Amino acid sequence: MSEATSARRAAVEARRVTKRFGEVLALDDVSLEIGEGDFFALLGPSGCGKTTLLRIMGGFENPSSGELMIGGRSVLGQPPYLRPTNMIFQHLALFPHMSVFENIAFGLKMRRETPGRIRAKVEEVLALVRLQGFESRSIDQLSGGQKQRVAMARALVNGPSVLLLDEPLGALDLQLRLQMHDELRRLHRDLGSTFIFVTHDQAEAITLANRIAVMNAGRVLQVGTPEEIYNAPQTRFVAQFIGQSNLIEGRVVEALPQRRLVVECAGVRLRCRSSADMKPGAPVTLSLRYERVGLANARGGADAVAIPSLIAERTFLGSAVRITARSASGLTLVADIADLEHAGPLSVGSPVELQVSERSITVLQD
Amino acid sequence: MTGIRAGGPIGRPLLLAAPASLWIALFTLAPFVLLVAVSFWVSGYYGTRPDFSLSNYARIFQNELYGLQLLKTLRIALVSTLLALVLAYPVAWFISRQALRMKTLLILVLFIPFWVNYVVRAFVWLPILGRSGAINSALLRLGVIDTPVDGLLYSEGAVIVGLVYVYTLFMTLPILLTLERIDENVLDAARDLGAAPLQVFFRVVLPLSWPGALAGCVMVFLLTLSAYVTPQLLGGPSGLMFGNLIASQFLGGNNWAFGAALSCVLVAVALAVLAAAGRWIKLHRVLGGAA
Repeated sequence: MSEATSARRAAVEARRVTKRFGEVLALDDVSLEIGEGDFFALLGPSGCGKTTLLRIMGGFENPSSGELMIGGRSVLGQPPYLRPTNMIFQHLALFPHMSVFENIAFGLKMRRETPGRIRAKVEEVLALVRLQGFESRSIDQLSGGQKQRVAMARALVNGPSVLLLDEPLGALDLQLRLQMHDELRRLHRDLGSTFIFVTHDQAEAITLANRIAVMNAGRVLQVGTPEEIYNAPQTRFVAQFIGQSNLIEGRVVEALPQRRLVVECAGVRLRCRSSADMKPGAPVTLSLRYERVGLANARGGADAVAIPSLIAERTFLGSAVRITARSASGLTLVADIADLEHAGPLSVGSPVELQVSERSITVLQD
Repeated sequence: MTGIRAGGPIGRPLLLAAPASLWIALFTLAPFVLLVAVSFWVSGYYGTRPDFSLSNYARIFQNELYGLQLLKTLRIALVSTLLALVLAYPVAWFISRQALRMKTLLILVLFIPFWVNYVVRAFVWLPILGRSGAINSALLRLGVIDTPVDGLLYSEGAVIVGLVYVYTLFMTLPILLTLERIDENVLDAARDLGAAPLQVFFRVVLPLSWPGALAGCVMVFLLTLSAYVTPQLLGGPSGLMFGNLIASQFLGGNNWAFGAALSCVLVAVALAVLAAAGRWIKLHRVLGGAA
């Protein structure tokens, strides 16, 4: 515990946390370390256990087994009202019988702050969420976005070292969501506290978080930066849940130094790099993002493989054209071609030469 | 306003409102108008005949007996209502915290006594409170008392006990309904913000269920204010209420006009109390069901 390491101390640490609800295994041996000041996303489909994990952090559930540390101290058995966390709830859960001011002041009143300090702090946090002048409004006089801000203010006014967000933007329309994303980013930057938020929206997780844990069926499958998760998914689930990927079954035909592989997939030899040692003959699944499949004759590197194919389907996406193309040997790839200036018409039935570079392929571990 | 003007009314509003208006007129307004009318009539040896006489009201206001009786009735109704509130709230809270199966069962249990006839439910207190009733014999056996206590039955207290028992469901149900409507997350939010269990209750649960409690209070108050059977059975001479006074005019005294006048006074008092209460409890919110 030197000075140097304390800068990246864990704000929250889950060790082998398991949670059972009767027969249902909601969390299965989850270990996770969330650094101080992280904007951390728990990402997964509904029912994957992400909300349960968040509620365990908030103190609303107790794990069946395992350990949970907040700020380096075990908080197991500590009720929510004693924890240094505050939660923004999925449906906001504002107090319907209180005004905006009373809602925000609630936590401060519970801590027996003086009326003067309460007023000052509420003013301050209202300015932070840009809701000055709304103090005396009642909750049902607010729009969806304003309620959202009140919920944030109500949690933030207590200065939590860890802010928990349970899909708080789920009820908002797209425009408002994007606006609140900016707001959240700004708040996180200004406050510097740890934000942990639960979402099933991979785009939200990627754009907001600096670290993501992808969860499925009660397990944490992969933890990393958005770039790592996006560019190097380690499992089939992660590859499919985040962005859109070609999943290609193949067999290792050659193992080169530095874990470089040559993999044959439906008659096409692709070059890629594995994170684990692989032997020739081993079956592998490769993940290849739609937008990482390019057209040949663009600046392809030495490691790039060109695949002559015929276009079988074409969809216009606005910013790109999505084509499904099949090689003579039967390898089908979906590609999002964004560089339309040099792409030609890309009409169905016409030939196209796809290009796949070594770096765009990920070797999945399951 | 603009919405109505822009679209215009659909169909014929008056015609569409007719069934409801008719219902209200027939079952609510008509009897009341008749009651008020009769209260100005005159009853004699040959029956009650139409008139416009203030003599019935004069009699009520001149004899202080009626005023005292009214005060006692108000007191009994008020005490019964508050007792019912204090007793019913914890029960409603307990039931609302149960899982669905248990909750259904408990609500059923709550209802079972109400399948028994009202008179029987009031009557059941006789063998409990009576001179040789359950309480007296238990106390005698325990040696707490030497001779049976008489005041248990045929007293104001007995009437209050009976009324609370008979009408408690009208308190429990509306409270239970408002408790049920409280979002579990709101309670979690309070805990998250530092509220200990008792603070959660007094700062969030109680205020949010207040409309239900007030609705229950209004109902129980009105029901007990006009109670007749319970005081008749359990009250004895000292526990008689205004309802008994009214009933005796119709059943015994054959003085319908005076009975009607007494009824009108009771209605007026009930309205006055509700209006006064409504000033500070915002009755429209209770009846409107806004949580």
